[in-house]
Amino acid sequence: MAEKFDSLEEQLEKFVENIRQLGIIVSDFQPSSQAGLNQKLNFMVTGLQDIDKCRQQLHDISVPLEVFEYIDQGRNPQLYTKECLERALAKNEQVKGKIDTMKKFKNQLIQELTKVFPEDMAKYKAIRGEEPPS
Amino acid sequence: MGGERAGHAGMMENFSALFGGAEPPPPVAATALGFGPGKPGGPGAGPPPAASTPQTVEDAARKAAAASGPFYLMRELPGNMELTGSTNLITHYNLEHSYNKFCGKKVKEKLSNFLPDLPGMIDLPGSHDNSSLRSLIEKPPICSSSFNPITGTMLTGFRLHAGPLPEQCRLMHIQPPKKKNKHKHKQSRTQDPVPPETPSDSDHKKKKKKKEEDPERKRKKKEKKKKKVGGRRDGEGIAQ
Repeated sequence: MAEKFDSLEEQLEKFVENIRQLGIIVSDFQPSSQAGLNQKLNFMVTGLQDIDKCRQQLHDISVPLEVFEYIDQGRNPQLYTKECLERALAKNEQVKGKIDTMKKFKNQLIQELTKVFPEDMAKYKAIRGEEPPS
Repeated sequence: MGGERAGHAGMMENFSALFGGAEPPPPVAATALGFGPGKPGGPGAGPPPAASTPQTVEDAARKAAAASGPFYLMRELPGNMELTGSTNLITHYNLEHSYNKFCGKKVKEKLSNFLPDLPGMIDLPGSHDNSSLRSLIEKPPICSSSFNPITGTMLTGFRLHAGPLPEQCRLMHIQPPKKKNKHKHKQSRTQDPVPPETPSDSDHKKKKKKKEEDPERKRKKKEKKKKKVGGRRDGEGIAQ
């Protein structure tokens, strides 16, 4: 899974480095640097071509839009993953609590009803066909 | 008859729901609240009458079976689902390692901690310099389908004037002040772009520039020596 990202990552790093060097050349340009500049400009085009080729391998990858919000704010996108996991666990615990409480309530209700209506509850349990968990 | 009917109208409203008989016309208030006919919504309310919402044949059959038993309104229990919220779903989906990795230790806040080798000020919000990903998604740039190399004629447009850039164009050389980490990434320092001489920089930038100018001076010296001598032992790959 990670291998298909390695190629893209490599291409992107080369591209960024090329742009960075382009910026250095341009910041204090000398006529002798013209050839180098032209070379780097064309490398920019081939770099984009190479990055475009990587697209096919990754056509099935989906990225949640919320991650882009984090990146646009200058925040680490791993924080999004962290918050997703934390929210999932919190919700899991909340639902588990609800389920456990409902089970306890059911058991208690059956218990109390059995005290008051023993015959009816016996019929009920027979119809349900199973002993409710205690 | 009419009086009796009017008197029993309130009760009938509720009872019709329970017995599934002919329904009286719904009161105005209930309609205004969005309740449909046969849905009183009061404390004595039961399920909607079968006549008004006959959902499926199975439901009707089930209701008939329940109705034949001693308990009124007894319904089938929902089937037991294997996976519910009562199980630890993180363990179930084998995400424990990921959870410990992201939530066990502190994750650094800034984007530059995630991408330490990316040049420029990436911690700034994208909206400041129009580099946000959101704007790219909402308004994708219109471009052709292929990437064509820049020909000789086109390259004439890239013949630049010699000399340093004016002050306002030197954005890319502004680096955020890097904090001194425990593991000093000296490699990243050598990869920093070399800023030109700018007299109006602040103190910390001047200090940084001194460190960065040293490798740049060395590089220039090497270039000069290379031109003179025509080769060096430790010749670096300098673009010609």
